Order: sequence, then C-alpha cells, then structure tokens
Amino acid sequence: MKSIIQTTNLHKTYDSGTHALKGINLTIHEGEFIILLGLSGSGKSTLLRCLNRLIEPSSGDVTILDQDVVNANPAQLRRIRRQIGMIFQQFNLIKNLSSLTNVLSGKLGYVSLWHALAFNHQKDDVAEAMANLNRVGLSEFARKKTKNLSGGQQQRVAIARALMQHPKMIFADEPVASLDPATADSVMKYLGVLNHEENMTVVCSLHFLSLARKYGTRVIALKGGKIVFDGSPQEIDEARFQSIYGEDAEEVEIR
Amino acid sequence: MNIEKVKKRVLSVILDLVISVYFIGCIAYLANEWAGLSVDLLYVVIVGVLVAVVQNITGYSIGCWGYGFSAEGKKPWMHTFWGWFLVVLIITTFVVGWIIVQVNPYKFFMKFQNAGTIVNGIFSPNLGILSECLAALAETIYLALLATVFAIPLAFVLSFFAARNLMPHTLLGNTVYLIIRTIATIFRSIEAVVWAIIFSVWVGIGPYAGMLALMVHSIAALTKLYSEQIENIDHGTVEAIQATGATTLQTWVYAVVPQIVSPFLAFTIYRWDINVRMATIVGFVGGGGIGLLLLQQQQMLRWHNVGIIIWLIAAVVWTMDIISAKVREKLQNS
Repeated sequence: MKSIIQTTNLHKTYDSGTHALKGINLTIHEGEFIILLGLSGSGKSTLLRCLNRLIEPSSGDVTILDQDVVNANPAQLRRIRRQIGMIFQQFNLIKNLSSLTNVLSGKLGYVSLWHALAFNHQKDDVAEAMANLNRVGLSEFARKKTKNLSGGQQQRVAIARALMQHPKMIFADEPVASLDPATADSVMKYLGVLNHEENMTVVCSLHFLSLARKYGTRVIALKGGKIVFDGSPQEIDEARFQSIYGEDAEEVEIR
Repeated sequence: MNIEKVKKRVLSVILDLVISVYFIGCIAYLANEWAGLSVDLLYVVIVGVLVAVVQNITGYSIGCWGYGFSAEGKKPWMHTFWGWFLVVLIITTFVVGWIIVQVNPYKFFMKFQNAGTIVNGIFSPNLGILSECLAALAETIYLALLATVFAIPLAFVLSFFAARNLMPHTLLGNTVYLIIRTIATIFRSIEAVVWAIIFSVWVGIGPYAGMLALMVHSIAALTKLYSEQIENIDHGTVEAIQATGATTLQTWVYAVVPQIVSPFLAFTIYRWDINVRMATIVGFVGGGGIGLLLLQQQQMLRWHNVGIIIWLIAAVVWTMDIISAKVREKLQNS
C-alpha cells in the first residue's frame, strides 16, 4: 500500500505553554480508515490540524502526497489543502448562506479570486454541487439557508462541500459528537461509502468504540499528546479502552 | 523576590498617594471656603504624601486593602479603618462637589419665571421662518447622511485589519493591528465637537466642516464596532474555508463577511441616528445646519424662532429614532 501521510517527530506547543503533541511518528496508507481515539485534550484535534497546518506545528515534519507540508509556501499549502476534505464537530458551515453556496465554497481552492469574490459560480460547478447535494440526499434543500437545517443535515452539507474538492483524503474532527446516535451512524455511513467505493483515505476522531469497530480499519489512540495504541479496532478490549480513557471509563454502545 | 507581589505593592502605594493627596486637598479646599484659611498647594502635597506613607506602611489604608496587604485582614468594613476612611472620603467628595458646582435648589424651584420667555417661545413658535429652518434642517440631515456614508467603506476595510483574530501573529500583523486600533481609539476619544472646531478653521464654517467632523468621528467609532463584531464571529467557519485551500481574501469574503453583514448594517444605521443628533451640536461650533441657526437665534434672544427650531429638531430626532429602531429590529430577526 502506498503511504499517503507521514509525520516525523511532530511537536506542538501552544503559546499558553500546553504541550499538545509530543513527538508523533505516523504513517497512513492510501485507503485506510483511521479512527483517532483519546480523551478531549489528548491532542486529536491538534494532530488533525497540524497535518494541513490550520495550526502551525512547532517542530517535526509532515509529508502528504509526497509533498513537504511544513515548508510549503502559501500557494503550495493551498494546493495541498484542497486535496484534503475536512469536516468538523460543529459543521462550520456559513449559516446565513444556502446549502448550495456552502457546497460551492468547497471549490474555492480551484476558482479564480474574482469569480469567488463576485459569488459568480461556473455552471459546471453548480451542476457538480447539485450532484453532490443529491449524493448526500439533500437536493431539495439546495436553496435553504443552512442554519435552518438539522444537525445531521448540516453535517451532510459539510460532506458535500468536502466532495467538491475532489479530495484524496478526508479529515473528520469528531464529526458525530454533536449528533444523536442514529444520525451519527447515518453520517458515518457516508464516510464509510467514500472509503469503500472510492478508496478514499479517512482520518476520523471519535469517542465511540462501536463506530470505530464498524467503520475503522485501524485505530490510533492518543493520550497526553503521544500515541499509546496503534492497531486494529478488534484488538481494543476493555482493559485497553480503560488505559486510553482512564479507570472509570465505560464503553457506550452506538448501533 | 516575587515580581507580582512587588508590582502589587507599588500599585497600592500609588493608589494611597492619589487618595490621600486628594483627601488632604479636599480638606484644604473646605478650610478655605468655610474658614478663609488659605493653604499652599505644596503643604497639601507634603501632608498628603506623609499620610499615605504612614498608612501604607502600617497597613491601615485603602490601597493596602485593595491589593490584599491590609493589616485588618478580612474584617467587615464597619470594623476597619479603611472602611470608615472610604465613607469619609465619599462624603467629603459629595460636599466639595456640591460647593464647586454651586448647587442651589432654591434657585431651581423659585426662579422659574426667568425661563418664562423661552417656554413662551416654545409654545408660540414663529412659523414665519419655517422655510429658512427647513433649509437648515436639510443641511443637517444631509451632512449627517454623507458623513455616515463616507465613513462606511473606510471603516469596513480598516476593521478587518483591526480584528485580532484575522491578523496573523507576526510582527507585521501585530504592528498593523496596533496602529489602526490606537489611531481609532485616539480619534474616537476626541469629541465630534472638537473635530468641528478644527474643520471649521480648516475648510471654513458651514455644513462641510460639520460633515468632516462627523465623518472622522464615525470612521473611528465604526472601525471599533465593526472590528469587535469580526472578533466575535464563529472561527470554525474560517477554519473550514481555509481547509478547502482558499486564499486569505477568499476566506474573508466567504467565512467572515456573511457573518457580519447584518450586525454591520445595524451598527451603521445606529451611527446615522447618532450623527443626526450630533449634527445639531456640531452646528453650534461652526458645523452649519440647524445648530448654527439655533445658536444665532438664541444669541439674538429671538425665543419664538428658537421655539420653532426646537420643535423641528425634536421631530427629526424622534423620527430617526423610530426608523432606526424598526430597521434594526428587522435586521436582528432576519
């Protein structure tokens, strides 16, 4: 399998002094569905954001698709970023704008500045955006402002936005943590389908072991900014789970 | 040595010095008012400093209490020296203030007939000068409108560079942020009336001077309001748009602008409302419009003319108030 993401001795120390990542060495291969486990504050979000430099790493190297991320200039960085679709716990849509415009914003890395500034979208792009909305089952909501959609629908709009980028991989930062269990699984299904049918690499942070077993091909657990487990989802038993989440943790089932 | 503690100690000494020199000054002022005792300012300062030093060293002072060095611990204020000192200080301030301001309730209640001519003028306004007044009023409304309109684009652009969350934490980013914020703060703290005085000398008395005065003040005020609004936006959206590979300008347009349009409009309309009120005041010092007319008529003691002007100003302010409230309500609900 081809390696698609590599980090070498990756460190992040925030201005506040928090040492969030303490030397992460990681190789992720094409087509993997990685589940990041760990307590809040264990460094999952920081790791995801250091990979595409939404947060600047303090030291270490990141290579994505054979390109040096850490030393990329702004233009190179944007070309790397547009190949990575990203979805977030809070969906992070532009709430006052329609679903369609939100999906179209996924194309920003490809369009010229002036087209973007005038909100003048190419016909092909609009057609593609409609197709992606259809794919996540939301074509009838295209003209609706996203703030009027439910949480699950908003997250699906966010997935459609990511698909506009023609991404090679998807980073998902706790994509289902704000959703109810049933909706959570339906959102994960879309990520699963992308992984299965298009061999898209997914890196997804989660708290639910049941979802990790169902969708993940590999689990990486963080604790205090270090990798404490790297293996298959089936290897995580109760003892392992408690060593990641602490003594009092109990597994919560999501079906 | 603990730097934080030293800093606190120094601050407590400064506070005590200010309080005690002020207090001794008040006593000296009252001694002069009531007993004709003239005290030299130098003695006031010397005694004040001595009192402060003694208080601060012994720990029986307001500064010591404020910064946590009090010798009296956490006793309730009625049982402490600093508590009663504070009470005396407040009473003294009130008494001194009463004398300086020349408060005189007798005059207020018994000399009402002096204002009779004005009240008479207000209730029998001279409608004969209505057309002249309306022309001046138009000047005021238009100068307020132009001042607002010209201020918007400048404040809009400046506000992005004065928003902490949009400026990168580099030397250049910090410098730009700091310069714009500082200038805006300074310009805003200079009242529009002062700007009007400056511009009435610069471009001559008239509505243009008034417009420039309000414009400068509006740019500074709107830059601050706008940039604070930008600092309150949801950062998640910015992150999401950055992650698509968008440029900085694209990110601002897609992730920032949609979040700020309606609060910006609300602030701007509110500003126009303020500017219409201020335009009258600015007119008094050379800014033209209805304010200038009011000043002239008042100086000639033509109270019937003053009457009509006051009614017109009230009508305009009242109308603006209603319109601006309605529009802002609409914006908030949309």
